[in-house]
Amino acid sequence: MRLALRDPHTWFVMLAGSLLGLAGVMLAVLGNPQNSGICVSCFLENSAGALGLHNNARMQYLRPELIGFVLGSTLAAIGFREFSSKGGSAPLPRLLSGVFLIVGCSVFIGCPIKLFLRLTAGDLTTLTGLLGLVGGGWLGLKGLAAGVDLGRSSKKSDGSGFWTPLLFVMLLLFLFVRPGFVLFSERGSAAEAAPVLIALGIGLLLGAVAQRTRFCITGGIRDLMIMGTRAPLFWGFIVFVLVAFVAGLATGNFRPGFYGQPGAHLDMIWSFFGMLLVGSVSVLIGGCPFRQLIKAGEGDADAGLVVIGMFLGAGLVQAWQLAGTAAGVPLYGKIAVVIGLAFILLNLLFFRDRAVA
Amino acid sequence: MSLRIYAAFLFILLLAGCQGTAERPVMKIGYMNCNSEAETLTRFRPLTQYLSDKLEIDFQAIPVDTQDFPERFAAGEFDFTHSNSLVYVIMREEQQLELLATEQRGNYGSRTAGAIIAKKGSGIETLADIKGKRMIFGPQLAPSGFLAQYDLLLREGIDPELDIAYYAIPSGSFKHEKVVYAVYFGDYDVAAAPALDIELMTKDGKITADDFVILGQSPIFPYCTFGARKDLDPDLIKRFRQTLVDLTETDTVDYQGETLKVLASAWIDGFEALQDSDYDYIREMAKRANMPPYQEF
Amino acid sequence: MEKRFDLVLGALLLLCAVTLVGLLSGTGSQASQRDLRVDKALEQEIAYQAKVSFLERLYAPVINLRDSGQNESALLQLDELSRKYPDEAHGETLRGEILLQLGATQKAIGHLASAVRMNGDYVDKQSPLSRRGLIERLLASELTKFKQLAADNSASRSSQAALKDLYYLQGRLAGGCE
Repeated sequence: MRLALRDPHTWFVMLAGSLLGLAGVMLAVLGNPQNSGICVSCFLENSAGALGLHNNARMQYLRPELIGFVLGSTLAAIGFREFSSKGGSAPLPRLLSGVFLIVGCSVFIGCPIKLFLRLTAGDLTTLTGLLGLVGGGWLGLKGLAAGVDLGRSSKKSDGSGFWTPLLFVMLLLFLFVRPGFVLFSERGSAAEAAPVLIALGIGLLLGAVAQRTRFCITGGIRDLMIMGTRAPLFWGFIVFVLVAFVAGLATGNFRPGFYGQPGAHLDMIWSFFGMLLVGSVSVLIGGCPFRQLIKAGEGDADAGLVVIGMFLGAGLVQAWQLAGTAAGVPLYGKIAVVIGLAFILLNLLFFRDRAVA
Repeated sequence: MSLRIYAAFLFILLLAGCQGTAERPVMKIGYMNCNSEAETLTRFRPLTQYLSDKLEIDFQAIPVDTQDFPERFAAGEFDFTHSNSLVYVIMREEQQLELLATEQRGNYGSRTAGAIIAKKGSGIETLADIKGKRMIFGPQLAPSGFLAQYDLLLREGIDPELDIAYYAIPSGSFKHEKVVYAVYFGDYDVAAAPALDIELMTKDGKITADDFVILGQSPIFPYCTFGARKDLDPDLIKRFRQTLVDLTETDTVDYQGETLKVLASAWIDGFEALQDSDYDYIREMAKRANMPPYQEF
Repeated sequence: MEKRFDLVLGALLLLCAVTLVGLLSGTGSQASQRDLRVDKALEQEIAYQAKVSFLERLYAPVINLRDSGQNESALLQLDELSRKYPDEAHGETLRGEILLQLGATQKAIGHLASAVRMNGDYVDKQSPLSRRGLIERLLASELTKFKQLAADNSASRSSQAALKDLYYLQGRLAGGCE
């Protein structure tokens, strides 16, 4: 522990954690939906709706934070000469992993970041989700230890790493130009939003900091399992949780309990399975939805494919009504999670280098 | 060694056999006839079977006419009762009947109400217009077919005995539907109909909402009620009540070779455990209308 | 040869860029741009307004009866309409409101929660269909009562279901992502 805290990088990661925790609470205070100051999966569902990938009129908004995360990461990577195109590892499994990441998140109602924002705001229905996330991380690690490997991304000189940032530049243009085919909800949770420039600014800042620190929620949990308290990401994660808790308390948003929680449901078994899916996929593809955005921003075309998959998944969970709501998890949402878990298990079988084990 | 095992096995089998053939206690449930004995038994026998299975008592369903109910209960003909809420109040006052649970059905759930209706376009628009008109009521011990409307008229300053040209009560079965049709076909000007029957007839398409004017409706009060004799085992009463309130629409019973949904076969949506004080409004109405159990001559 | 091909590609790319700038700066067909602008967002809004006005028209007899104090007749009208449009959210809301006025609170809670499940507009502040105020008052007056009722051992399934519905409504009022 002392060793980790002596490392300046640990302090930088802790700064990233504190910024994420603070921003997560403050964006909700500034107008984002309650307990959803930052939620990558919700933002993706909103943005997919804005682009016409689903027709839920209450979930259509091009979230500036999402654009900020990717472009912030790109700018930081370019500024610190870390931008490099890479890719070529298991493209289709990664694309589908993106889809199932969002299936898991939507059934739980939120990404791993939102899980902790909800938990630190007193939402005790997230406890099973937390168990699921940890369990999923453990499953993924067991798989990696047994020789499962999607293959390493190789460096490319073809500039393919620019495509995801360019896609988000286009989304940035859409946000300000607002062409007729981009939809913006006037009611529902997508109509609740922090001011555009503030949201974009916070997104850019968090994207840049996360790129520099490699901050990731599931990464923090994973590193704790591997390295214990020596892992800088773990300390960043702890600070993120503490800051979010204190900020929630200070802004009067801490209401402990199981009932009447914003954007939550009581199908806690399915919260567990949803997050089990997210945890296992995240470890297998090297990061939670947030981390995939950051990696895509720094030129990782494999992560870019995951991001495309997440957009696709975000459209599907709304169009097919797979997403959990305050009323619970729909039948087809449960079925989608089970298919997702089967997908993971099959990948663990197919991508396992048996020589390693 | 193996002989001993066989002997032990045989002994266990014998024990199990004894348990299976043990006589279960027999108890009777009196069910108030709504329309006919046949209908009452068809409706409530599956529920009775379900209760028997759950409580391990052989319950027998006894159909009972409304006017005979308090008397037959007092005579000890049955241990549990299913009656309308006025008959419950009568037996509560006279025999200290224990309240178990109240049936839920229709828009008001465990409550119901009585309405006074006239045919639309008949010129009768308000309760004041019914003076001197012909009116038809439901059976006299029906809280939502007679008592509620009688009381409503009294509270509106209309004495049914003096201010109405004449009033009648239909004979035979399906009295509540008969009163609605009596107004619909013009035999009577005004009818006292239970809100539930009007609702069900509308939902079934037998009448339309535009056929009638609702001149007035009573406040809501408890609907049909299960009760138990006061001297029964308190634990049995508790379990009986819990079995009723735990019933859901998906619960089934095997009855005469068929698997039936218990609530649906009894035309019931569910049960609620009300307090006896919830029946106070019926008591007030009965007192105002000079009806049992407070009737004074 | 290869160099020339690169030059050609570069020139074509430049042409694409110029065309793009031209289109975006308005030198393209203004009419076609306008056509596009009229489309989705506006059509979505028109569809929504049409839905709201259809619901108002459909339920006008119910609302008129309710507003003139004839709650019982209004319920019958709803029963009639529910034969044609079963499980329709606005009808559920009106039924909940009327039953609340008639004192059948438990049933009213079920209908209001069912309406919100079908259409979140009923808890929105901005929606013309909003019943947020009514639901806030309902929670303030009934939540504690139903908590006590459900704590009772012999509480029926319907009281427990009503409590669950109240918690659901409370969660929806609390906001969050949908």
